[in-house]
Amino acid sequence: MTLIKRVRPALGLGLTGLALGAVSLPPVAIRLAEALGEPPRRALDLHRLSELAWQHLQLAGTGFILVALAGIAFGILATRDFAAAARPAIDSIAAGAQAVPPVVVVALALPVLGFGGPPTLLALVAYGVMPVLRGTVGGIQAVSPDALDAARAVGLTKAQILTRVELPLAWPVILEALRTALVLAVATAAVGALAGASTLGTPIIAGLQNQNTVPMLQGAAATAALAFLGDAALILVAGMLRR
Amino acid sequence: MSARIRPLPGILALGWVIAMAVALLTLPALRIAPNRLVVGTPVYGLEVFGWWVAAILASGALCVGLLVAATTRRRALVALGFLALCAILLALGLGAGAAHRMVGQPPAARASLGAGIWSAAALLSFTMGFAVQASRIAGLGLFVPVLLLAILGTAGHLGAFDSLSLAVEYAARREAVNEAVLQHLGLAGGAVLLGIAGAVLLSLWRRGQGLVAILVGGVQVIPAVALLGALVALVSGLLRLVPSLRDIGLSALGAGPALIGIAAYLLLPLWRGLATALRAPDPASLDAATGLGLTRSQILWRLRLPLGAPILVGALRVAAVQSLGLATLGALIGAGGLGRIVFDGMAQFAPDLILLGAIPIVALSLGAERGLSLAEDAARLRLRA
Repeated sequence: MTLIKRVRPALGLGLTGLALGAVSLPPVAIRLAEALGEPPRRALDLHRLSELAWQHLQLAGTGFILVALAGIAFGILATRDFAAAARPAIDSIAAGAQAVPPVVVVALALPVLGFGGPPTLLALVAYGVMPVLRGTVGGIQAVSPDALDAARAVGLTKAQILTRVELPLAWPVILEALRTALVLAVATAAVGALAGASTLGTPIIAGLQNQNTVPMLQGAAATAALAFLGDAALILVAGMLRR
Repeated sequence: MSARIRPLPGILALGWVIAMAVALLTLPALRIAPNRLVVGTPVYGLEVFGWWVAAILASGALCVGLLVAATTRRRALVALGFLALCAILLALGLGAGAAHRMVGQPPAARASLGAGIWSAAALLSFTMGFAVQASRIAGLGLFVPVLLLAILGTAGHLGAFDSLSLAVEYAARREAVNEAVLQHLGLAGGAVLLGIAGAVLLSLWRRGQGLVAILVGGVQVIPAVALLGALVALVSGLLRLVPSLRDIGLSALGAGPALIGIAAYLLLPLWRGLATALRAPDPASLDAATGLGLTRSQILWRLRLPLGAPILVGALRVAAVQSLGLATLGALIGAGGLGRIVFDGMAQFAPDLILLGAIPIVALSLGAERGLSLAEDAARLRLRA
C-alpha cells in the first residue's frame, strides 16, 4: 500500500479540522453569530484563543502520551504467558471503567486533587488507559497461532516475536484504540474546564452560563477542530512510521 | 456444561488478602469533620469496627481461598454468599461506627467515608464479580447487586446509615435526587429512542451509506461539550427564524438540544448494529426464503430481524451505556438530570454531593450494561435452540 493511500483518511479529517478552526476565528465567529440572529457581543481575541488552545493541547497531549505508553505497556504485559490468569480480571475492570463517564471521573478527582489541571490529567489518564489496554490485548490475541508457530519455528526469541510479529500484526487494532483515546483526551480536557482547568472548554462553559454565544461558538469550534486535527495527525504519523 | 470452573490464581488471592488488610487497617475508614467542606480527621478500621475487622478479614480470606480451590459451582456460591455477608457487615459496622462518633458533635459535623472503605469496597466487588463468573449462573451478575442494594437500602431506610455524610446529604435533598434520577432516565431513554429513529432513517437511505458512515463517524470525534454548546447556539438561531417552534416546546436551553446532542453520538453504534444485524442471515437462507415466495417485508420480520436480534440488543447496550453517561452533560445546558447534582457538588466543593450524583450515574450505567448483556445472551441462546 502506498503512503498516499494510507494517509488519505487523514485528508478529510484534517480539512474538517481546518474549517472548524476557521470558524473559531473572531471575525468568522461574530459573522456566524449574527447570521444566527445573536446580538453582536465581544469575541475572544486571537491571543486568548490561541493561549487556551495551547493549554488544551498541552493537557490533552500529555495525557494522551501517558495513556498510550501505559496502555500499550500494560497491554503487552497482560498478554504474556504469566499474566494469562489475570486477563479476565482486566476485562471486567475495563468493562466497569466504561460505565463511569469522563465528566464523573473529573468530578470525583476534584475533591482529591483540587482545582486546575491535575484532576483533569488524572481523569484523562485513568479513563484513557483502558481502551488502549483493551485494544492492545485484543490486537495481540487476534494474531493467528500459525504466525506465532512459524515465528517460533524459525527460531525467533520471545522479544523478537513481540516486536516483529505480534506488535506489527496487532498494530491496526492498537491504532484504532489510540484514535479513540486521543479523541477522549481532547474531550476530557474540555470537560476539565468544569474543574477549573483552563482549556478551550472554559469559554464554552462560561458562554453557557452567561448566554454569551460568540465565545461559546469559538470554544466549541476550536475544541472540535483540535480533535479532528489530532485525529488526522495521528493517522498521518502512523502512516509515515509504517513504511 | 461441566461443573468444573476456573479457579482464582493463588497469587491474585494473596495480593487480595494483603490489599484488603492494608485498606482496612492502615487507610482511614471514616473521616470526621466539623462541616461538610473540610477534610476531616481520619479514623481507622480498628477504631471503627473493633475486632470485627479481624472477622471480616478472615472471612474475606476464606472466600478467596475457596475461590482459589474452587472446582465446583457450590464452592463459588458459598464464597459469593460470604463475600456478600462481608459487604453487609462492613456497611452496618460503618453506620454504627459513624453514629457512635457523631454523638455529642455539633449538627454540622460530618462523618464521610475514607479511602480505606472505598478500596475495600472495590476489592470486595471485584472478588464478587469473579465468584459470579465462576458460578456460571446467568443473571446472578444482576441479581446479587440488586439484592445487596435492596438489603442495604432497607437498612438505610431503618436508619442504619443516618450518621454517614452521604445519607445526611441525601436526606437534605431527597426530592431533588429522586427527580434528577427520573430526569436522567428520561433524557437517556429519550435520546436512545431518538437515536433509534435516526439510525433507521439513515439505513433506509441506501445510496448514501458511504456518506452516512463518514458523518456518524465524524460526530464521534466532536467533544460532547463542544457539540452541546454549538447546538444551543444553533437552536436559538433556529428559534429566531421560526418562532412557532417554541409552541411545540423547543427551547435553546433545556431537554431539546440535549436530546439531539446525545442522540447524535448514539447514531454510530445503532446504525452500525442495524446494518450488521440485517446482514446476519446467510445468502442461502435468503435465497430459500425468496424461493418460498416470502415478500421483502416478510423476510425482514421473519428472517432478518430474529436472526439479527442478538446484534441489535448488543448495539442497544452500547448506546444505552453511552447515553446514560452523556446525559450527565445535559445539566450544562439546563436539561437537569444527575449531572446537576454533580455540578452543584463541584461548585460547592462538597465531595459527598458529587458522590450523591455520581453513584446513581455509575449504578444506572452498570445496571443497563448488565441487564442488556443478559438480554443479548438470552437472544443468542434462543437462536441456537
